Amino acid sequence: MMPVARAEQPVADFDGLVREHQAMVFSLAYHMLHDRALAEEVAQEVFLSLHRNLATLQSAAHVLFWLRQAAIRKAIDETRRRRRRPQVELEKVPEPAAGAAERDPMLGEVLRRLIAVLPGDARVVMVMRYQEDLDPSEIAELLEMPLATVKSHLHRSLAVLREKLARRGMGDR
Amino acid sequence: MDWLEAELKRALARKDPEPGFGARLSARSRGGRPGTFSRRWLAAAASVLVLAGSGAAYRHYEGVRAKDKVMLAVRLAGGKLNQVQNRVLGVAK
Repeated sequence: MMPVARAEQPVADFDGLVREHQAMVFSLAYHMLHDRALAEEVAQEVFLSLHRNLATLQSAAHVLFWLRQAAIRKAIDETRRRRRRPQVELEKVPEPAAGAAERDPMLGEVLRRLIAVLPGDARVVMVMRYQEDLDPSEIAELLEMPLATVKSHLHRSLAVLREKLARRGMGDR
Repeated sequence: MDWLEAELKRALARKDPEPGFGARLSARSRGGRPGTFSRRWLAAAASVLVLAGSGAAYRHYEGVRAKDKVMLAVRLAGGKLNQVQNRVLGVAK
């Protein structure tokens, strides 16, 4: 078993980095693209790129930062290249096609679908906040985005999600 | 953190890729995209065959030309020898 890289430790070997970060990279791509096959392709490209650039990365923290940036950039590129998910205004996102049986067990899938059709920047910010548990200042640094913009995306996206869920009768807790 | 944020954390929790991700990555890093490896080798092999075939055909063509030249030279030399032989025989008579 390869050593687990932590922020203070030096960069581990490549196989160890793949094992440690594959779920993170794959999930970023999946939550951006909502397509498992495409997410795997993006994740593999990210790790192949990491292999080529590993010598330039100085620490485990640097690797983590680099992987997050690379995964998001490649996922955004893929979205643009394939035009699979046209950008729409958040307010125009259609209601989830929910059946009568769609209750709490389906809430996770409904949320993932709503996230997946958010405009690009809002989607990235939400995925970084709730998948990676980054605070707004960390997201701002990672995405090279003003902190106020990050906060605005979070606030606005949450408000619209609440409204969408409330309309489906899924918003009361 | 309110209920929606808690639900979002659950919904967007990290997920593992399909089993064998590392092996597929290793295979890809050795030979490019799946399928590309064999196509690349097929193209290289076809190029080698074409070049080898072209070389062999050219060598065969050159050989035939050289043989024709030698045969022509032999025929010319034979004709001359006949003429000389006839003259020698004529003088001897």
